[in-house]
Amino acid sequence: MRIRFWGVRGSIACPGPDTVIYGGNTACLELRFGEQNRLVIIDAGSGIRPLGNQLTRHDLKNGPIRADIFLTHTHWDHIMGFPFFSPIYIPGTELNIYGPVTFEDEPLEEIVGGQLRYRYFPVMYSELSASITYRHLVESKLDIGDGITVTTKFLNHTLLCLGYRFEYDGKVICTAFDTEPFRNFFTDSSETDHIDPALIERGAAAANVETAKIIDFYKNADVLIHDAQFTKSEYESAKKGWGHSSMENAVEVALAAGVKRLILFHHDPMRSDAELAELEKQCRPAPGSSELEVAMAREGMEIVL
Amino acid sequence: MRDQGAALQQRIATLQAYIGKMPALSPTVSKVMKTCRNPDASPADLTRIISMDPVLMGKIISLINSAYYGFSQKIASLPHAIIMLGINTIKNLVLSTAILSNVNRLEHEQALDMDFFWQHSLSVGVTAKLLAEKRGVRQSLQESYFVAGLVHDIGKIPMNNRLPVIYTQALEQAEQMKESLYRAEKKVVGIDHAAMGALIAEKWRLGEDILDTIRYHHDLAAYQGEYEEIVMTVSLSNYIANTLAMGFSGDRFPEKMSTECLHRLHIPPADFKEVAGAVNDELKKARVFLGIT
Repeated sequence: MRIRFWGVRGSIACPGPDTVIYGGNTACLELRFGEQNRLVIIDAGSGIRPLGNQLTRHDLKNGPIRADIFLTHTHWDHIMGFPFFSPIYIPGTELNIYGPVTFEDEPLEEIVGGQLRYRYFPVMYSELSASITYRHLVESKLDIGDGITVTTKFLNHTLLCLGYRFEYDGKVICTAFDTEPFRNFFTDSSETDHIDPALIERGAAAANVETAKIIDFYKNADVLIHDAQFTKSEYESAKKGWGHSSMENAVEVALAAGVKRLILFHHDPMRSDAELAELEKQCRPAPGSSELEVAMAREGMEIVL
Repeated sequence: MRDQGAALQQRIATLQAYIGKMPALSPTVSKVMKTCRNPDASPADLTRIISMDPVLMGKIISLINSAYYGFSQKIASLPHAIIMLGINTIKNLVLSTAILSNVNRLEHEQALDMDFFWQHSLSVGVTAKLLAEKRGVRQSLQESYFVAGLVHDIGKIPMNNRLPVIYTQALEQAEQMKESLYRAEKKVVGIDHAAMGALIAEKWRLGEDILDTIRYHHDLAAYQGEYEEIVMTVSLSNYIANTLAMGFSGDRFPEKMSTECLHRLHIPPADFKEVAGAVNDELKKARVFLGIT
């Protein structure tokens, strides 16, 4: 199994002199499975554009491009690259697009394909040459063939967002691109004095149950790719409720779940290369204290399991 | 006969069509709007509002247990649902339910006064929870008693709002015949609120315990399922609320609880008075919170 990072940024693409090393493209991951080189893509942020170019340049000569694209959710930084994914304009391309849809929203096809309208883009969705099938995902376990299973779990984000757990040949990769620790927000209010103590208690119990489920979802993963948009102090001072985690929390969760390698992902667009390099050092557990390996996701980075 | 059957079919189709867009109850609406439109609304306030409205509560429980999420375990606790779904999802849902109510209110007269209906529903919810507490039911289960009590009469809402003329006749018949409302409903409308409520609970997937409570709260003798305690407790709470006239949901002549049921629940009559006092306090607090004078 092979993982390649094509986009590691959150919120918006941010090219420039300060993002040369870790990269400025938004979320996109390429997974390859087995000898048949089965292709799975997670998210269609701006990083999917160079991935598409790579596919048309190198894979197309071996036959039509076939891929399963798993969208974690439909916030724009995770789908914005789709109109620029060149295989969608090539006849013979077959795509399965999976993802969650929030209550009362349009179907996935309209949310993703709706970007291809004249008001946003010069090509209409109906003009695409690829054959695309959409599948709306909830919490479940899927067998996508070739011995690959995918388990899904809802994370804690401002929109329905799925975490994915891919299992293949005894190896496990988990993703939690956009997620915030479940917490008891009944204690947030300034009027805590007037709140029913039973409510606070129940909120705490619910948050604990959900946290335990999340940790179980990552259990013993070989690789966990986890949201780390903020530092702990940023999170605590001003970013609670924004739907993202701190690096420190990602490390805590990975340790609790017995993860082997943690990749910190969804970097804040304001974070420079120098800052990321420094934070990467700070996030590594002290030598001898744990087996957990921690690294910042970097565009072009590859992991082979 | 055939004509009557067709008319009944038609009525039930009308009521069923209404289930999906049932509005929040009028007493809570202005507070709902105010809270949900405030970006800094506190989660505790939101929880309180939902806990006071059978329709909002039903919709939240329905959403979290719907196929949208595919959760394998049923989630019956409102705080848990809010923490999982997030405040924004809850606000959107609550707001859309409340807005519908404003539109609907202008459309027609209703037979039952929604303010009194709301007081009755809340009273039964609070009473059922207090009785559960007294009987030593586990705290994590007490919430289900509250929810079941709050929504036990939800089947009356479609009849009241969609067939106000016929429903008024049913209310009058119950009054004249001095009989429990569900009997008059069966005769006049052709379906009673227990059966109607069961349709809602099934469609909204409110869970077996709540479904059984709604369906059997006037027919304990026929109940064979596994949620006997909650069904009986809510039925008793309903009887208490009706006889002590806490709110009004059309049942001025409720049928007596069987002594067997009272024995099985082991509730000393002295507890009833204490519960009634506590429920009145809760109702007063709710009115202050909602700004109803």
